[in-house]
Amino acid sequence: MLAACSGVQSALNPAGGDSQHLYRLTVVMTVGGTLIFIGVTVLLLYAIYAPPERRAWLGTRRTIIYGGLAFPITTLSLLLPYGLIVMRDTDAPSPDALQIEVVGEQYWWRVRYPAEGGRPDFATANEVVLPVGRPVSFTLTAADVIHSFWIPNLGGKVDMIPGRANRLSFTAERTGVYRGVCAEFCGDQHARMAFDVIVLDPAEFDAWRAAQASGAQAPETPFLERGRTLFRTGGCGNCHAVRGTEADGQFGPDLTHVGSRRTIGAGQFPNNVGTLAGWIANTQHIKPGVRMPSYGMLSGEDLRAVAGYLESLK
Amino acid sequence: MTRRRFWQVFMMLCGFIIWAVQFTLIYGATSTTCALEVAETRLLGIGIVPAVIAAVTLAAFLCTAGVLTYALREHRRLQSGNAGVTDIFLSQAAILISAFSIAAIVWQGLPALILPACA
Repeated sequence: MLAACSGVQSALNPAGGDSQHLYRLTVVMTVGGTLIFIGVTVLLLYAIYAPPERRAWLGTRRTIIYGGLAFPITTLSLLLPYGLIVMRDTDAPSPDALQIEVVGEQYWWRVRYPAEGGRPDFATANEVVLPVGRPVSFTLTAADVIHSFWIPNLGGKVDMIPGRANRLSFTAERTGVYRGVCAEFCGDQHARMAFDVIVLDPAEFDAWRAAQASGAQAPETPFLERGRTLFRTGGCGNCHAVRGTEADGQFGPDLTHVGSRRTIGAGQFPNNVGTLAGWIANTQHIKPGVRMPSYGMLSGEDLRAVAGYLESLK
Repeated sequence: MTRRRFWQVFMMLCGFIIWAVQFTLIYGATSTTCALEVAETRLLGIGIVPAVIAAVTLAAFLCTAGVLTYALREHRRLQSGNAGVTDIFLSQAAILISAFSIAAIVWQGLPALILPACA
């Protein structure tokens, strides 16, 4: 069971300063609460079962004053400033933070990196990439219902509310792949609304950012070209954008570099031609209630062509 | 109610009253300065919000400590004499309430002092 606490989606495996603070607070509260619970239980059993002459001290004024008043007041007086200092030191905005905007939608994540220092803005989906060691500031909102943004390994959770922009700041201090989730029930597919968080070295992050800001690459084979044609004629571009092509839909996730993402379906399946094809053909079977209809009418070969084209968008 | 009894009840409730006044003043001051966007104003290098909170909390603490001291003395005096049950009860309640109020006043002032005023 403890092995599960060291994974990519665990508040017990902190990978940043904020999550480390929260982890320590959790340990202090849990261990302290457990010890006090055990102590009170032992005293209770002693009061019930010990001989009257031996348990008499439990009812004295001194015991009540020290155990019932002084101890809890002292404990709370120590815990309160500790908790307040943790609260002050977490989620603290930094002026040079990397800005990222995330919009929660049923049941996926729209992610946008605003322009910064001459580097253009771009949109992606269901994946957040961060540079290690640099403060990050998220602006969080929702397009439809209330969602909640939570990356357990990196920080606390923050509600995403339609019409309101909430903020979350933290610094990732360990490279690696983590997993974020929606932490507020938002509909039937709430449990299938996750995203990947990839923490890279600064140089790798800059390279990733430059690649994401560029337009989609052209198909390299006739088969992939056929996929692109099917993507266009099938109306996919009405909902999805593929920058550098005529597809400019804003309703669904931006697919300009969908092939570079680790997963599809908001963190549900590894990203490859097979899962892409399965997703396109059976969205409503795999994730009932999502806005994208199933394209089961495509022939096997057409499906492979479209999936191949999407997978080629690195 | 006699004048003496009124005074006893008033002293018993003093801790609660001071606590309530401190709450109203520090959160009222914080909310008002945040709404007027003057919470970051500094006088002689000290932020006006923390200064007001510290001053009000210190004043409330000292007042309540004074009430507690008075209540303890009164309780000792009553115990050594021929006091009635009601007098003893009221003095004990005054001790307990003022002691709890001191803790509450400190706990209440801490968040306002440690956390940013308008976060």
